Amino acid sequence: MKNEAESQWRRDIIKYRHFYLFISPFFILFAAFSLYPVLFSLFLSFMKWNGLTQWKWVGLGNFTSMLYDDILWRSLWNTLIIGLLYIPPMMILAFIFAQVLNAQWLKLRAFYRAALFLPCVTPMVVIAIVFSLIFSSEKGVLNYAIMGVGHMLPFLHLKPIPWLESESWSKTSVAILVVWRWTGYNMIIMLAGLQGIPTEYYEAAMVDGAGMWERVKSVTMPLMRPTFAFCGLLSLLGTVYMFDEIFVLTNGGPGVSSMNFGLYLFNLSFTDFKFGYASCVAYTVAVAVFFITLAGLRITRQREEAK
Amino acid sequence: MLKTFKHHTHSMNKITVARISLLACAALANLWFAGCMPGTGAPSVPAVVTPSLHPSGSITVWSWNIAAKSLMRLIPGFNKLYPDVKVNVDMTGAQMQTRLMLSLACGVGAPQVSQLQLTDTPHYIDTGRLADLTPVAAQLRNSFPDYLWENCEKNGHVYAIPWDTGPCAVFYKRDIFQKYGIDPNKIDTWADYIQAGEEILRKSGGKTKMLPLGLDSLENMYLIILQQVRGQIFDEQGRIAINSKASQEALAIIKEMREAGICSDVQMFSQEFMAGINDNSIATYPSAVWLAGTIRDTTKDYGLGKSRWGVFRLPAVTKGGLHVANFGGSVLVIPAQCKNKAAAWAFIKYALCSRKGQADQYRNFDLFPAYLPAQKMPQVTEPDKFFGGERVGVLFARDISKISKLNITPDWAEASTYIEEALSDWAANGMHNRNFFGNLEIRMQRRLGDSISPQSLSYSENNG
Repeated sequence: MKNEAESQWRRDIIKYRHFYLFISPFFILFAAFSLYPVLFSLFLSFMKWNGLTQWKWVGLGNFTSMLYDDILWRSLWNTLIIGLLYIPPMMILAFIFAQVLNAQWLKLRAFYRAALFLPCVTPMVVIAIVFSLIFSSEKGVLNYAIMGVGHMLPFLHLKPIPWLESESWSKTSVAILVVWRWTGYNMIIMLAGLQGIPTEYYEAAMVDGAGMWERVKSVTMPLMRPTFAFCGLLSLLGTVYMFDEIFVLTNGGPGVSSMNFGLYLFNLSFTDFKFGYASCVAYTVAVAVFFITLAGLRITRQREEAK
Repeated sequence: MLKTFKHHTHSMNKITVARISLLACAALANLWFAGCMPGTGAPSVPAVVTPSLHPSGSITVWSWNIAAKSLMRLIPGFNKLYPDVKVNVDMTGAQMQTRLMLSLACGVGAPQVSQLQLTDTPHYIDTGRLADLTPVAAQLRNSFPDYLWENCEKNGHVYAIPWDTGPCAVFYKRDIFQKYGIDPNKIDTWADYIQAGEEILRKSGGKTKMLPLGLDSLENMYLIILQQVRGQIFDEQGRIAINSKASQEALAIIKEMREAGICSDVQMFSQEFMAGINDNSIATYPSAVWLAGTIRDTTKDYGLGKSRWGVFRLPAVTKGGLHVANFGGSVLVIPAQCKNKAAAWAFIKYALCSRKGQADQYRNFDLFPAYLPAQKMPQVTEPDKFFGGERVGVLFARDISKISKLNITPDWAEASTYIEEALSDWAANGMHNRNFFGNLEIRMQRRLGDSISPQSLSYSENNG
């Protein structure tokens, strides 16, 4: 029986060989550029290797090194803080913009949508130059505005803020840039979510006498929850692996006050050339992110089911 | 109505579940970062460079900004001697050294000649993928200062040729000094310097700070002062030696500077740093000779009088102490995989080991010659109009042989991250010195895996 099944299987492969041939490019590319690096980096996690010399088996040595790597822990902490600083305002702004741009009465909607989406397709180097001018502590337009307000309202005792020069403000500066850059992107996703809500629901709510706030609270918000979850998850991953924003704006400084995980991993790999240790760190954090995502997903599901 | 909403929410949820699962898998994509590596392979035996009387063919040189421009300017002169060698200088820009490392690892793709920072050189030599220059370069040993040459060698073999060096001094604005009655000749020690800074700050009503010293520049200043007191990060054997009296002295001076309020809290080469060159916000720039190029470039668009700038020697830590230190500098290397080593060496020799080649680079681009005979050339010793006719080259060359050599190890870049981070933290959190270097030493030891030097203060404490 078994042999028969096997020969049938072989016959099928030969019979449908053209189809297998047609789908093979994906699998070849996937194996070469995704599967192989992932498996190879798992292997490297147990090795000491700088890319040039022969690799050396260190067992769990890389994993124990992580415990003492205080810059890794600081970079993870920074990642968390940057995420907390930018994700809530970005989501709120994106939702407000999406609501406004979804309104039928608004003219030039396409223009506004394009304008809000523009920052996330603008080259990061250009953004970095503009933002370093904005954040400049003595000549920057942001401090100029703050001082202007300070002159008008002297009781506030406003002082120029060292946006990029101070350890306590560098994360905020990164967060401001990220909010500016990614709000439009999230807005587009939310706009799609809003447009997916049938207008009948709003009409029914209006017939029931619901005001604007009631409609947002009882119709829009519950139906948008999956979209919010999706945007939240994208932002979570975006925060962990954020790279270019920080690389060009602060390069992780001053000190390592704005270094997030993505930049730390880059430095570990391509400045220090510790490929074995970098693989180990990458794997550990990827697994942690996977489980956090899973946990978040489960909580969202349970909440929905409880309702 | 609510039920309908719930049903709708559930169906959307299914789609989201699928999306979220996909995204969670995408989290693994970061593994590509570490996993997509060039092939390994046993370390190749470093190829040895042998000279040729008539080199030919074409070579590519990787270099960055001003240094690259400086090399380009040398090509016509080089081609007069070697008409059959075509030189292509590639200003490859960002992350050049990283790409070089990847090319070395792959065994293909590296240029015939590449620039490296002096502080990164031992790390690249350690790979065993650079050509051994000993047969052609060993006799040049005495033409370069020890503090550079010794970081270009490993086990008695030469792998890099020093290009420019960064002797330090203080660039100052003459008009500000005149206005507030400060005599630069009377600034002998860092204490004098701080005192002058306080005077300028007071007389300018707090508008003019003495120097730019933001959190990211603390490490540079620390290393400059550390050399003046002959301190080290690593000892000769590569063991951690940062916890020393010398380090404490350097830190004390930095603390004094910051407490005096004379430091402008700006990052190096930031908007404020550059603007300070043209306005009255910063009076002096203690730095290496190569900053002169930036100052000349930045001021030329503003049409200011060229005699506005002057240079005085680096203040010493104590009276009679060293007035010299090195900051920066780079080298040229030939990757072992280079197929035209004779042509590559001919170019390096012309650019770095000839008096004219090096002296011209100083005149054109402020790259101070590491090649000692070039320091006596008129291009270096002549009065510099920009600096009010001062013989700036002579000032920078003075006592250059006394510069204390920093032992640079292959771990230097990683150690530097720790030092920069610790100093930045220290300055941002009240500058409490208590066991600063002891703690830093422990952290460096844990991460780098290097042992503690017997010269360390903690070593002597622990061993009676």
